[in-house]
Amino acid sequence: MTQGADNPYRIYFTTWIALLVITVLMLGAEALHLPRLFLVVFLVAFMFVKAVMIAGNFMHLRHEHRRLVITVAVGILVTSAILLAYVAPESASVFRKTVR
Amino acid sequence: MSSHATSLEAHWGGGVSPFGATWQKTMMWIFIVTDALLFGGLLTGYAYLRMAGTVPWPKQSEVFSIPFIALMTFILITSSMTMGTAVTAARLGDSRKALRNLLFTIVGGAAFLGCQAYEWTHVIHQGARLTGALPGSELAALGVPVHFPASFFVLTGFHGSHVLSGLVILIITAIRSGLGRTPAQGVEMAGLYWHFVDLVWVFIFTLFYLL
Repeated sequence: MTQGADNPYRIYFTTWIALLVITVLMLGAEALHLPRLFLVVFLVAFMFVKAVMIAGNFMHLRHEHRRLVITVAVGILVTSAILLAYVAPESASVFRKTVR
Repeated sequence: MSSHATSLEAHWGGGVSPFGATWQKTMMWIFIVTDALLFGGLLTGYAYLRMAGTVPWPKQSEVFSIPFIALMTFILITSSMTMGTAVTAARLGDSRKALRNLLFTIVGGAAFLGCQAYEWTHVIHQGARLTGALPGSELAALGVPVHFPASFFVLTGFHGSHVLSGLVILIITAIRSGLGRTPAQGVEMAGLYWHFVDLVWVFIFTLFYLL
């Protein structure tokens, strides 16, 4: 591990602070009643930032072998994207038919 | 034999992992990927119900106390920090610090579960059932779609069951660690699972409670 040569625990503290700050920003954005599209993009973007920070720093994924990182990231992200890509048009179609 | 085949054999032929990790860690990551896909499926199902439904989803702050959910998030993030500290302490051979932080993590996990039990009780009292809102209840008066309570119970229930099993793993790890029977890698494996539980909550918190 090459995290913080002087203090190996610092990475956890700084990540914790960053996660809390991002969470407060997300709560603030939700409370401010921002335009829906902006809010969705903002919250989803920060959700992924938080996920990368947890996986990278807490789970030490950024210190793992690149093959492991690619296997994990592709396994989760691509499969979820395929699921969502199939479901989104279907749900929109059901919505349109029900409204009609 | 070609150089490619020789290289593959060197990696798979015994002893050396192509992922540069021990078999325990590799298996743990494979388990995490499969478990992540479970939640990926559940969240996709939730997205389907929400997008295909014609009854608008209620504003979350009308049903839940968002500051309370934020407190739960704070507890889980904090427990992830103490877990990370425990893993590094175990790796550095500081068993007392590792045990202390494991205990902090257990307290955090128990507090999160307590909060979740309180929240479930509150929502059930509002009239939420797995099959929809009870007629005449507070939740029915809000006009929530039938899938809203079901999505809530399934998503938070599956996550809560993971927190509970993580808590059991942490308690066993702490006891064995106190007795000097758990190597640093054992603490690391428990930590990976605990951080994964935190990771899933990031998605549920954003997609279900905020959006």
